[in-house]
Order: sequence, then structure tokens, then C-alpha cells
Amino acid sequence: MDNLTKQKDIDRVDGVQKVTGTAKYSAEYDFPGMLYGVLACSNITKGTINEIDTKAAENAPGVSAVITHLNCPELPGYKTTEAEAKMAPTKKGYKVFADNIVRFNGQPIAIVVADTFERAVYAASLVKANYSKEKHNTDFAEAIKSGTPLEGNNFKEYVRGEANAWKNAAVKIEAEYTMPIEVHNPMEIHGITVVWDGENKVTLYEKTQALSSTQQNIMRAFGLKQENVRIITQFIGGAFGSAFNTWPHSMAALIAGRKVGKPIKLMLTRNQMFNLVGYRPEAIQKISMGASADGKLTGITHEATAMTASYNEFTEGIVNGSRSLYNCPNVNTIYKVYPLDLSQPTWMRGPGETTGAFALESAMDEMAYALKMDPIEFRLLNYAETDLERKKPYSSKFLKEAYQLGADKIKWKDRNPEPRSMKEGDWLIGYGTGSGIFSAWRGAAKVAAKLLPDGSLILQSGVTDMGPGTATAMTKLASDTFGLSDRSIKFEMGDTNLPPGPMQGGSGTTSTLGTAVYNVCVSMKKKLADLVKDNPVFHTEIVHNVKAEDLLFENGMMMLATDKTKRITYAEVIKSAGLKELVVEEDSKPNPMTNHSAFSYAVHFVKVMVHEKTGVVKVTRVVSAVDSGKIINEKTAESQIVGAVVGGISMSLHEEGVIDHRYGRWVNNNFADYHVAVNADVPAIEVLFVDKPDPVLNPIGAKGMGEVGIVGFAAAITNAIFHATGKRIRSLPVTADKLI
Amino acid sequence: MDTSNKNEGRRDFLKKSTALAALTIASPALIKAGENDEKIAAWFEKIPLQVEVNGIVHKLSVEPRVTLLDLLREQLHLTGTKKGCDHGQCGACTVHVNGKRINSCLSLAVMNDGKKITTIEGIADGDKLHPMQEAFIKHDGFQCGYCTPGQIMSGIACINEGHANSADEVREFMSGNICRCGAYPNIVDAIIEVKKGGQSS
Amino acid sequence: MINFEYIRASSVKAAVDALAKNPTGGFIAGGTNLIDLMKRGVTAPTRLIDINNLPLKQVEATAAGLHIGALAINSEVAEHDLVKNNFPLLSMAFAAGASAQLRNMATVGGNMMQRTRCTYFYDTAMPCNKRQAGSGCGALQGYNRMHAIFGASDKCIAVHPSDMCVALAALNATITVSGPKAERKILFTDFHRLPGETPEKDNTLQKGEIITGIIIPKNSFNKNYYLKIRDRASYAFALVSVAVALEVTGDTIKNARLAMGGVAHKPWRLTEAEKFLSGKKISKENFTKAAELAMKGAKGYGHNNFKLKMVPISIVEALIKATGLV
Repeated sequence: MDNLTKQKDIDRVDGVQKVTGTAKYSAEYDFPGMLYGVLACSNITKGTINEIDTKAAENAPGVSAVITHLNCPELPGYKTTEAEAKMAPTKKGYKVFADNIVRFNGQPIAIVVADTFERAVYAASLVKANYSKEKHNTDFAEAIKSGTPLEGNNFKEYVRGEANAWKNAAVKIEAEYTMPIEVHNPMEIHGITVVWDGENKVTLYEKTQALSSTQQNIMRAFGLKQENVRIITQFIGGAFGSAFNTWPHSMAALIAGRKVGKPIKLMLTRNQMFNLVGYRPEAIQKISMGASADGKLTGITHEATAMTASYNEFTEGIVNGSRSLYNCPNVNTIYKVYPLDLSQPTWMRGPGETTGAFALESAMDEMAYALKMDPIEFRLLNYAETDLERKKPYSSKFLKEAYQLGADKIKWKDRNPEPRSMKEGDWLIGYGTGSGIFSAWRGAAKVAAKLLPDGSLILQSGVTDMGPGTATAMTKLASDTFGLSDRSIKFEMGDTNLPPGPMQGGSGTTSTLGTAVYNVCVSMKKKLADLVKDNPVFHTEIVHNVKAEDLLFENGMMMLATDKTKRITYAEVIKSAGLKELVVEEDSKPNPMTNHSAFSYAVHFVKVMVHEKTGVVKVTRVVSAVDSGKIINEKTAESQIVGAVVGGISMSLHEEGVIDHRYGRWVNNNFADYHVAVNADVPAIEVLFVDKPDPVLNPIGAKGMGEVGIVGFAAAITNAIFHATGKRIRSLPVTADKLI
Repeated sequence: MDTSNKNEGRRDFLKKSTALAALTIASPALIKAGENDEKIAAWFEKIPLQVEVNGIVHKLSVEPRVTLLDLLREQLHLTGTKKGCDHGQCGACTVHVNGKRINSCLSLAVMNDGKKITTIEGIADGDKLHPMQEAFIKHDGFQCGYCTPGQIMSGIACINEGHANSADEVREFMSGNICRCGAYPNIVDAIIEVKKGGQSS
Repeated sequence: MINFEYIRASSVKAAVDALAKNPTGGFIAGGTNLIDLMKRGVTAPTRLIDINNLPLKQVEATAAGLHIGALAINSEVAEHDLVKNNFPLLSMAFAAGASAQLRNMATVGGNMMQRTRCTYFYDTAMPCNKRQAGSGCGALQGYNRMHAIFGASDKCIAVHPSDMCVALAALNATITVSGPKAERKILFTDFHRLPGETPEKDNTLQKGEIITGIIIPKNSFNKNYYLKIRDRASYAFALVSVAVALEVTGDTIKNARLAMGGVAHKPWRLTEAEKFLSGKKISKENFTKAAELAMKGAKGYGHNNFKLKMVPISIVEALIKATGLV
């Protein structure tokens, strides 16, 4: 009974809402008497606020409150515990309006609340502060030169076999790769609408990828009971990692809303998005690699240096991929992080791995050329059949199949591997490849299912969707598992009043939530079977007491496997049992993966054209082959990889966060100066899925795909540029000036 | 229809508006006008505006500094038009004014007096979606959906302008609409299909 | 943004009068740059005079050449048959600028009047002599990737961001201006100015004046090209742009016009290179020599040093593209 009956792919279940403008994002709710909150931010980088003049703002038309550190109410979560007091500064975090300390330029120093958006914006411009400035450092290079990296368990060197074994290799390469700050920049500006009911109960419409942890954060901060903090997130206009944290602006809106006792809406500005909702940290990486003359890797040393905020120890697995992607007996990795007087970084699509793979996969290409080997053959020769880091077999690994699929599609073998050997008119042609790895996992989630007398199914879980199409995939999965048309299934989500779902992110949503959806569908089928066990429809000479195993569930009907004419619709079952609804709740339990390692894999093949004189780069073809286990809904899955690839093009050729270290201020914190890929930068993108189920991770066979699609992509581009031009560009983004 | 009922009394406004009062002193014309309280208030507060949005005529009274985007979203509650940058750098706020696509974040509402505005909420025929809306669903021309209204309004205009004759032309003429989820290839497919179907608004 | 007075002018005279009554006011046409600047607090006019109703939208052939009204919309001018057929360089420059939406809003006069996109100019918490005289130039020692290599001063190294203006400079357009005094004409190349000691002044328009239109003289340029190098394929300001208009007979250049964007405080005419190319054969060597001449006086400021290399490459490439030299 548990066979998935595969149907055609489905369109997005929320498509109509999204194309008609009726999909509501967090700052699009309206309440009677609603006010607008706008932040005033510091224009120094480090120091203390001596005085803050809010009089002009308070007296401005329509203003009902101005809140600063001076009048911010004492919150339960703002009390410094003894344990907190003893913590290192980088562990303490930062709480908006809790003190007069300025930790980064653009830090909120006040929230102004007024009756219209325009009045709030104007009044916020009237808030003036007087500071005691301290010497700041926002310059990563300067920190490396004269600062001290953080210490602790996150920064222990990893050694497998012999450290620095590459030094003794027959063929060796050493190279340094740099990446600037990258900013998520989802199209939806982070926004929040806060509705307090008295001082101890609140409903908020918040842009969050993690309902449960956001709820916990707010409960802790305000000392509220769980049932008194309701968060609704029906739609998220993109996030890519920027919406896990409960950011200062959300806290500011909550604080202000409670103070004024009216609903408040707050939307950041695009400028503020650059330093109030995280970014991917800048990183410098050195890879040293050794191989035997016949191409066997003998040693990899990967040293990564990154940055974080002075008040927040952010770490990510930049060096992790180098430990397990290839079959190399000797690997050592070093990871250092320097604190700076900047706002805090956070996870951004493919966190850690994306940064690391740029270096590792570039180095693999450099080594392949040093060995005079085909880069794919070199990778196959060093293919890891087991996880050498964890000393476990893989739950599934079809990277080899992905290499094959992608290489065949782009006709990899037809290229002339010699750099600068291919040309079309004024354009140098290059092909490049890079691969990626990202952890697959399964966490905890609950799903409730309600089967109604009309035979329709409602599924409910407190998950949110930033764009991949979680409700669509779950509807498709339930349709296949439960044997019911997707049009009769409704997936309700985005509300903490629903059974707690997983967070949206880390490439674990489908695995986790899908497991719970699958389980709830299986349970529901058992319940239905129980209800019909004595039903005369199924009484035949062979079957007297029907069990779920005897039945097929298709098209909203249960039928005897041995005689499909003996059938009954789900609707009839519910009606004849006299039920208003049949309710089942099931969960997904975290899979500890005691005996296996689980990863998703991707390999990208790209064709680039580089103008031989002006250095302008065009990406003209992309083939991405992906092993992310079983594909639940290919249409939306393909879009997810396409989206990751577009993010990869952007990262490779365009994105670069720039700060003027003299002032500690951003100089390109807007969409005109911080370039992301536009339509004209993006060619048709071909996505191929291996589409083989993972037999261990979960019952649905799916691994993750949101992250892995961008991991290794930047190296594919720079490797292709090397092939086209003979120039090895080791610093992103590759702008035209680097190629002339 | 005056949808804005959030404003305090005009006199109260004048009294509290110290910064603005200072400005009036700077201008002889205004000092003179200031003798007539009614007139100066009208100047600095709100002025009448008549716009037709999706076929409905709105008689409004708005502050000059209100942008068309904020008027749509905050006063007319047409939140389908999105704010992605507020500076004409992303295209999420694209609407049609007298049939032409523009960035509504860089247009003052009062500059649109007497004009016909079409937003994403105004292109379907009842429950029947506009062909461009259908094509976006069919080709999965979006993920998060936030840039989508702007993309669709821009896509319709792109065809109407005669700029959808090839995939490359669509790419160039749709480059004023940023999609961070990266749905560009599917957006191009959707527009080309609608163009080939000979359908437009 | 402060709230401001808003009035609509129905005639050029009424507009000029309205501004004269409130010197801290300003005109608004397309608004694509002005509203942006007002939102950032860079400028705060107390009175906006909406000039969109003025009868200055014409695109017409006259005895003197092509007359384009100051309020003609960028996209409409770009696609106008008179422009496409007779002044293709201008069409190409328009197509390379901004986005389809912005081109539907922006006017020709507004395009000329747009301010620099220098980040220090936009951020009121950082120094900028153009925004606030005497506060210093943030870009000089700061992040200056987009900045000038020609004609800058130690007060300002900002560039003018327009594409349209680069073509108009190459085409020797003339600007017509009305004001409290008499109407007057300004040569396009004299309109924008170099920063010198007073970078707060972008151009030579006098207080209270209004641009009414431009006239582009008839020409015989049969080879035209606008090359724009930028950080992405579309919707980005120029790192470097080159406008080329050539009159070619056989393989000889009879008359050459060259102007550049992204390199100076104003559209940058390459007059020495033009002189050199006149009467010369179409050849890679001549183009390279012209580019060398164009580089006289170029100076990098750090992040923009690459322009010293990119500019001559771009000049040669634009000439090759214009002439179809293989």
C-alpha cells in the first residue's frame, strides 16, 4: 500500500495568489488604527550614545512614540544573567535599545511611530544623536594583520592522516581564493506587522523561515506564554537564509507596538537590508593540494579565514566539503574567524559549502591542468565511495551518475581542453565544471491531516515557504501517497497555531516535512481501512476482514487489490461512518543517521564567452546535474536548481559588498550599486536529476536541493573563464576589469 | 473616496510642524499665504487627486510626498504592487500608467492626476486570469512571488511595446525587473509563449 | 522626506515664475532621479513645480536639425523613426541606459539634469563637496571604482551617469533654455561642467532657468556605435561607454566624433582623437593611435585605475564595431 503512485507534476498550489497579487506578505496586512514604525540608525561605527535628541521627532506631525535605549522598557529577556555576564563579547549578542553602545554603523538607535508612513520616515530623520566615538575596524585584511582570531571548539584543526601531506607530493599546487561579502537581498524587504492584545499577548505577521524558534525568541524576550505568541507567515518574498533570526527591527516593532498599544507595521529600507538581516561573510581561503603523477590525491590542506561581528560568533562549514568530497587519505583543515565592527553575518544559501567549494573546486581544476588530466576524469579517479571523515558509508551517492548526465548533455568531451583554444568571432569560448556537496538530514516535524466528508484532505503544519514551493511539493507527495487528486488536497501552513513544522532551510524541509506528510497519509489509509473492514463492498470469498494491505488507494477511492470493481470513495467512508472529519496527526522524528552519511550532490557544466578585448563575460549555457534523491515535484524542483544557478551566476560575476573602512559604512547598499544578475545575464539553464531515492534518510527517498544547486557553481564559471582565456581568476566577482 | 482617516486636525498639524513652519518663514510667498490659514494648510498637507485605478475612479486627497506606490499599497490597500527597493532599482513596483509601464516608487501620486493606472489586481477578467498570468503559472515563472506582479506587468508591456520578438530581446527588455529567486529563464518562456499566442492586454 | 508644496505649471513662463517665487523649490518632470534623491535626503526642495503639462514633448525635423522637446520621454525619442533613421547613435545610447520602465518616465531634460551616482553624494552621513560644499570628497581616498579619470579635481571625482548625454555631446547638440531673462542657447558640450573648485554645480544652467529642448544638427554620419561596458549585461551604469559617429567614404574617415561616458564629470569629448581620425583610413593602427591621444591627461584614483586600460581598449573596440573592421 505504500507505493507512490506517480502522477504528472503539478503547478504551484499558490500560483494564482502570486500572479494576481493576492498573496499577502508580512507588511501587507491592514488593521484599524495601524501605525507605521521607522528606524533611525547610527552613523558612527563604534562608540556610545551620549545624548539622543528625540524632541523634534516627537513633535513632528502624527508621531505617537519615539523609543530609544533611554525609554525602552526593561524586558525579561534583556536582563543580563550571570552566565551571560561571564561570556566573551562575541557570544553575548546584541539586543536592540538595551544599551547605549554602538556596535556597527547603521545600528538602530530609535524607532519612530507615526500615523502614516511618510510622517514616520520624516520624523525618523529628525532623531539626532551625539556620540563618543571609538576607533573601529571593519577591514578584514587589517584584522588578519593585527587582530586575534576567535578561539574555542569551533576552530580546532581537523587532521586526517598526515597534516600538510601535499608538500611531499609529486604534483602540487597552492592557491589563495578570495570572496567578498555577499548579501541575500531577497526581493521582499524584511517587514513585520505587530498586533498586541494587551501587554501579554501578541500576534505578529513576520518574515521568518523558522516559526518555532521565532516564537521561542519572542516568548523569552517578553516573558510570554507560548499560547500568547502567535506568528503568521503566509508568504515570504525570498530569504535565502536572511529570515532565521529574530532581527533587531522585529524586536523594535514589538517593543514599540506594546508601548503604543496599537498595531504597527515596519518595513526596512533596501539600504538597511545590508546590515540588519545578515550577509555571507567575506573569506580568504588557501588550498594546498598534492597528487601522485597518475592523478591520485595524496593531500589536501584547506585553510579558511572569515569574519564575523564583534558581538556574534558566526561560524559555518567552509572547510567541511574538503574533508569528504574526495577520496584523499591526508586532509587537514584550518578555520579562523576574526571579529569586526560590523553587523552580524548569517547563513546564506549553501552556507559554508558555497564559499568552500569555490576554493576546492577551483583547486581541483588547477590540479587537473597541472596533471594534464580531464577535470572530470580527475574527479572520478578520486571519487569517494565512503565518507572518510565520518568513516561511514553513504546512504546514497549518485554523483558519478550526475557527472555522466551532465557531461553527456553538454558534450564535455568535444571541447578542446587547451586554454584559449576555442573562439567564436571576438569571443573566447570556455567550458568549466564544478561540483558541490551539502548535508542531507531529517529533523522533527508534526503534520495534522483532516479528511472531510466531501473526500478532500487538509494537511496542516507550521512551516513557512520562502519560495521553493513547500506546499506544492507536500500536496504532490500527499496526492501520490494517499491516492487523491492534488486538487482535493489543501496544505495549510505559516501559523504557529498549527502543529509545529520544521524550519524552512538547511535543505531539510522536504526530507523532514515530507516524512511527516508521508506518515500521516499512511496512517490515514490505515484509519480508513479500519473503518471499512466490515464494509459489505469488500466482502468476497477471499476477503472477509479487509486490511489496509488488501487495498489500493487511488483517485480518492479504496479498492480491493484483487478486484478493483470492489471500491468505495473516501467521501462515502467518512459519510457512512457519520464523521464530520477524520483527523490524524503524525510526525517526523530526527534521523540520527548512526550508520550512514547523507549528502546531496550537484555538478555544474557551464559554457562562457569572454570578449577577448573588453573582458566582458557572458554565460551562454548551463547544465546542472543533481543527485538530491527522489524528486517529489519536478517542475518546482527544477525551478529551485535554476534559481540556485542564477544565484551562482550572480555570485561569480556580479556580487560584491563594499564597505568604506574609514567610516565603517556601506558604499553600495542598494540595488543600483550592489549588482545581482538581471534577466539579460542569464541563459537557458538545463537541469538534470538523477532522481534515485535515498533508501536510508526517510521513507520518501528525497534528499535536499535548495543549497546544493549553488555549491561549486562559482568555480565552474571561473574554471570556464580559465579555459576560455588562460587566466585563472581567484577572486570573486569576475568583473571585466579582471580580464583585460 | 478619501481613504485616509488617519490624520490629525490640520491646526494641530500646523502647530506641531516646527520644521515646516521654519520653511514657511524662508519664503515670502508663503508668509503672505500664511495669513490665510486655510490655504497654507492645503499646500502643506494634502491636495486633491483623481486617479482611475483598475477602472475605478478614486477621488483622493494626498500629501504631495506620497509616491504612487505608497498610495496604492498603504491607502488603496492594493498590495499586489510590491516595494522591493523604493528607488527604481528593481522593478517590483511596476504598474501601467496610461498603458505604459513605469516604476511607481519614483512617481509622486499627485503627478498622476487624471491618469489611468493598472495594477496586477486589474488585469484578470473576474476569475479568468490574464494570459500572462496563466503563462507564468504554466512556466513556473516565479518562486517566492514577490517580484511577480512587477514581472507580469512588465511582461505585458514588453509585448505591447513590440519588444518580445526573441528570447534575447525579452531578456534585455525585462532586465528592469530583478528576480532574486532566479526565475528568469521561465519568465522569458512565459512571455515568448504569450507573444506567440498573439495575446496581450 | 519633508512634505512640500506642489503646483502644476501650465506654461513655461508660469513654471519660471513659480520657481522665482521660491528659490528653494525645483522643477519635477519624470522624477526618476529627483524623487530618489529626495528619499535619500540629498535634496529637499520646499516647492515642486510639476512641468509635465508644458508643451515640450515634440520630436520634429526642423531646418536646423532635429528638435526634441525637453519633456519628450526617453523611450519615445529612442523609438522615434526620425531618431532611429537619422540619429541612430542617440537611439543606441538610450537603449543602453536604465530600464524600460525608467525610460518610460525619464524626460530628455531630466536626463541632462540627473545628478551623479557617486555613493558619497548619496549618503548624507559621508563627506561630499558636491552635496555639501567644503565637506570633503569621500571618493578621492575612498571607493572610486565608478569614478572619473579625466578632468577631475581634488574636490570631486564624480562622473555624470547619463548615456543619452554622451551621444548628444558627440552629435554637437544645442540646448535651448528659458528663464527669468531672455531665452538662450547652450552648446551641449558647454552645458555640463568640470568640477574644479565648485563641484556643487553640475552644469551651466543659471538660477531660475528651465531647459526647453535640444536641437541636433543634421549630419552625414554613416557609421555609428555606442559601446557600454558595465558590471552586468543590462540595467547598470557605465564603467566606460564610447559614442562613435563617423562619416566614412570608402575606407576613409571624413569626419569623426567621439565621446565617452563613465570617465568624467561631464560627457567627455575626444577632440584630439577626432582630429586625428579625420581623413585617415579605417585601420586598427589608426584607431589605436586615436585611443592613445584620447588618454592624454588621464589619471586613476585607485579602484578605477583599470579604466586607464579599459578606456583605450573600449575606444578601439567601439571604432571597430562602428566601421565593421574585421
